[in-house]
Amino acid sequence: MIGVDFDPEPPVTRSFDDAAAAQMERIITDLGRVYQERNEALREVARAHHEALLRLALAAEMRDDDTGVHITRIGHLAEALALALGETPELAHELRLAAPMHDVGKIGVPDMVLKKPGSYTPEERQVMNQHPVIGAQILGRSRIRLFQLASEVALTHHERWDGAGYPHGLAGEAIPLSGRIVAIVDFFDALTMDRCYRPAFSDEVALQMLAEQGGLAFDPRIVACALRHADRLIAVRDEINRNPPDLFSLVE
Amino acid sequence: MKKILIVDDHADIRRLIRMTLEFEDYDIYEAEDGATALLLAEALRPDLVLLDVMMPGDLDGLAVCRRIKGDPLLQGPGVILLTARGQAQDCEAGRLAGADAYLVKPFSPLQLIDVISQQWTAA
Repeated sequence: MIGVDFDPEPPVTRSFDDAAAAQMERIITDLGRVYQERNEALREVARAHHEALLRLALAAEMRDDDTGVHITRIGHLAEALALALGETPELAHELRLAAPMHDVGKIGVPDMVLKKPGSYTPEERQVMNQHPVIGAQILGRSRIRLFQLASEVALTHHERWDGAGYPHGLAGEAIPLSGRIVAIVDFFDALTMDRCYRPAFSDEVALQMLAEQGGLAFDPRIVACALRHADRLIAVRDEINRNPPDLFSLVE
Repeated sequence: MKKILIVDDHADIRRLIRMTLEFEDYDIYEAEDGATALLLAEALRPDLVLLDVMMPGDLDGLAVCRRIKGDPLLQGPGVILLTARGQAQDCEAGRLAGADAYLVKPFSPLQLIDVISQQWTAA
């Protein structure tokens, strides 16, 4: 055994007298209180930060969706799909809070592009394709996990499984799971809502379109899972449409 | 920087008070009895004196308080008395002696910090 022999110093024992010990207890009691208050204050700051970003996401969303309920649905649908995939409830919950901010970067896209019916010119396409990068910039490089996740979702929700997506052309599992999940619920939800340039598709048609994109735009495993749990996802969506939850349901 | 003089015959208590005020920007001095307290008060002109009521010797905290408050040279530093639990009469006696505030030992450090900062706003 490697070591150094040494004679330990006899420990100096010295105890507080009663008055000092009582005072020490008060200090420790206060320390506990300050610790609690500090943690509560940090949570409050994170909540306020989250709410501000969510309101920004809502501002971006309300430019082409009068109600802004789309982003609420995306949160709850992403959570439901993550759970269906067997992900942990913790991750699913975080995804519910993070996913609604996926399109916050659209705030940097001009109306003439964002609201244009029909197809884009290459220049317009280039502008539109910047919104994931802008979103990730807005959400920033936070030390808080939730905002790291939100930033990841914003950056990667338009990547495609076959590598033909944007902004980075990632393919397969190089795309973070969060981005792959949100891409799918975003696609399905966007198809089944009325847009200024077309009416909503029926659920059957939308599911069919989703099925066709398995292995192309989307992770085939997640598409298969979404189709298996389509009833559940549709129920979540319909419930939100019947009773749109408060924005605060998306804040921790 | 504000100067605070801690007067208590218990070295441990002085140390704990010093620790409590560590994160506030104060110059902290200590005295272990009433006579030393008066000497230091004259020499240092503290802005505030934290004064234990019950100290051995001729000068207890109330006597020190009266002397400090009565000395025109010192220009009336704030005095916060620290009294033992259950000495309710200390409170009235403290006020008569001119103390600005009092805390019952063992006191909450947060309360001490609050009471001290109130002294600055009151002054």
